[in-house]
Amino acid sequence: MESLHPRVRLLWTGRTALSSLVLVGLVVVADRFVLSLPVELAVAGWVILTALGAVHAVFAHRIWRFELQDDALFLVRGVVTRTDTSVPYVRVQHVDTTRGPVERTAGLASVVIYTAGSRGADITIPGLRPERATELRERLRDLAGESEATDAV
Amino acid sequence: MRRLNPLSGALRVGRGLLQGAFFGVIAGTTLAGFLGLPPAAAPLLVPALALVLGGFALARYYRFTYEIEGDTLRVESGVIARQSREIPLGRIQNVDSRQGVVNRVLGLSVVAFETAGGATTEATLDAVAESEADRLRRLVQRHGEFEETEPAGEADADGAGASADPTARADERSGRVDSEELFNFTTRDLLTYAVVSVRPAAPALLLVGLPLGIDALLTVIRFNLGLVGARPTVSLSVLDALGPPRLVALVVFTALQFLLAALVLSIVLTVIEYYDFRLVREGDDLRYERGLLRRYSGTIPLSKVQTVSIRENALMRRFGFATLAVETAGYSGGNRESGQGVAIPMAPRPVVYDLAADIESFGDLDFERAPTRARRRYAARFAIVAGVVTAVGYAVDTFLFGSGYWWLLLSLFLVVPPAAHLRWRHRGIALDDDVLATRTGFWRQTTRIVPYYRVQTVFVGRSPFQRRRDLATVTADTASTSTIVGGSARAYDVDDERATQLREILRERLYSDLLARKHDRDA
Repeated sequence: MESLHPRVRLLWTGRTALSSLVLVGLVVVADRFVLSLPVELAVAGWVILTALGAVHAVFAHRIWRFELQDDALFLVRGVVTRTDTSVPYVRVQHVDTTRGPVERTAGLASVVIYTAGSRGADITIPGLRPERATELRERLRDLAGESEATDAV
Repeated sequence: MRRLNPLSGALRVGRGLLQGAFFGVIAGTTLAGFLGLPPAAAPLLVPALALVLGGFALARYYRFTYEIEGDTLRVESGVIARQSREIPLGRIQNVDSRQGVVNRVLGLSVVAFETAGGATTEATLDAVAESEADRLRRLVQRHGEFEETEPAGEADADGAGASADPTARADERSGRVDSEELFNFTTRDLLTYAVVSVRPAAPALLLVGLPLGIDALLTVIRFNLGLVGARPTVSLSVLDALGPPRLVALVVFTALQFLLAALVLSIVLTVIEYYDFRLVREGDDLRYERGLLRRYSGTIPLSKVQTVSIRENALMRRFGFATLAVETAGYSGGNRESGQGVAIPMAPRPVVYDLAADIESFGDLDFERAPTRARRRYAARFAIVAGVVTAVGYAVDTFLFGSGYWWLLLSLFLVVPPAAHLRWRHRGIALDDDVLATRTGFWRQTTRIVPYYRVQTVFVGRSPFQRRRDLATVTADTASTSTIVGGSARAYDVDDERATQLREILRERLYSDLLARKHDRDA
């Protein structure tokens, strides 16, 4: 089974840091008008949230695994609720590689696999090296094409 | 290319004129003074805006054209942003039509075509004549049959009966043959169904509607106050004069009235929705019609059915009735009427199971239950809820009422063991020859039947509480709608090893059944 690039931990932590910064900012702004909390408290809140995010990222990276099996893509993920997912290649509708601005700075890419299902119709594999992402996308496309037994719906 | 019915065009233009005039009045009275326009401008705004909106409606009517050419449906629309859309007929999942009151008088209906992709209805023709709606539906239906006869056709139609000559079948079709009525509602059945199928949304709807009937509400409150012997005036000070027993009586009485009103509302809504319900089998399609004020009708191609659900609430189960719902990949988005996809609103259980087995062949479903440690898990969960409720009750009582009766809430713990047992007993999973069936729910039991070849992704999820007890939840996703009714078949709290095993079985069966179906079609 393959695991994600270690740098993805940094990416995830950075993301949490950013989103908690927005959250803390909102709290501070709301605070200005209702009651005034010391700025130190807001900073402490941000540090705690980011630290939690970092711990979560470390665990998430340790748990994340994926594998191209004979007839299905198999993924294991989830820190709190652990989920094993198997996506049969026949069910793959199309595959994307995406690179957001944050991902580009970290030098990483993601592969998104779409199925026609109702729940979790798109499955993302984050934290891949760009070459690996392209390779994976092409491999999945070929596998989906080969296993074309019928309509994917 | 065809246009929509001219009557509906005229209707749209009329509506546009009215709306424009209405906005004109508002703009003339409020904006004119605000912007400092000359007084003469205000009356001019009315015809000007009416003309703009009416003209826009007219342009929209003329721009909207559609046609079925060969095996695609083409729709051209839009005045400012133009759009043209082609939908291959083989990809159409459902064709639905609905008629509002005005359209029924004019003999028009709104036709909607649904495909598997996209978040909204793919094409809506608003509105065409009834005969034209019929023609379109038949064209789509007939296309499905042609495709069956093509060996290389990639539509997932059943391989059965593929030998007939296409043209002969088409002729047969136009002569309205082989339509067989499967089910219809007598007035008595409809009323029974309306009483038994309680709508959870009815109390909320009633609450929202209350301010509209404020006079009636006040009369009822005065009557209630008089009944418990208080002064029949509506104010909070009256309540102070009442002692606790009379206050409780008042509250209980009012609550009962509220629930009764909600029940009546629920019955009325159900009757309006399912009045004159008919289910007909036309060749390989199911076709339903329903509705008192608005008429709905639609076709469900049997070859495109993804999952079949059988629903029974506690009352229905007691009397041996069940609801059958059929889902295709067509409907998306949650804003559909609750009745969408319902094939049989209520019938005796054997009838429902027979039709379900007719759609997806399965035998007697033999449900395996979760291990008994799952029951302990439910008991623990319910006990926590009971504990929290008691704690909140204690706090509220001590700080607000001081009646000292909070310990009555402890009786909730008595309900925990039976509740856990019932939840455990009503959950299960069955692996039949061709289908996977899952079941859950005590108050509203849902049995979901998914053919193996329809399974999409399989998830095995384990929450921290499940991991402690070596349990897992297996979810088999299908391409059907993600509403409350629809979605995936889920086996709750199966043994961890069994979950992994189930995942493997589902994957193997998916491929072997797909291949078997391909062989059948090629042969």
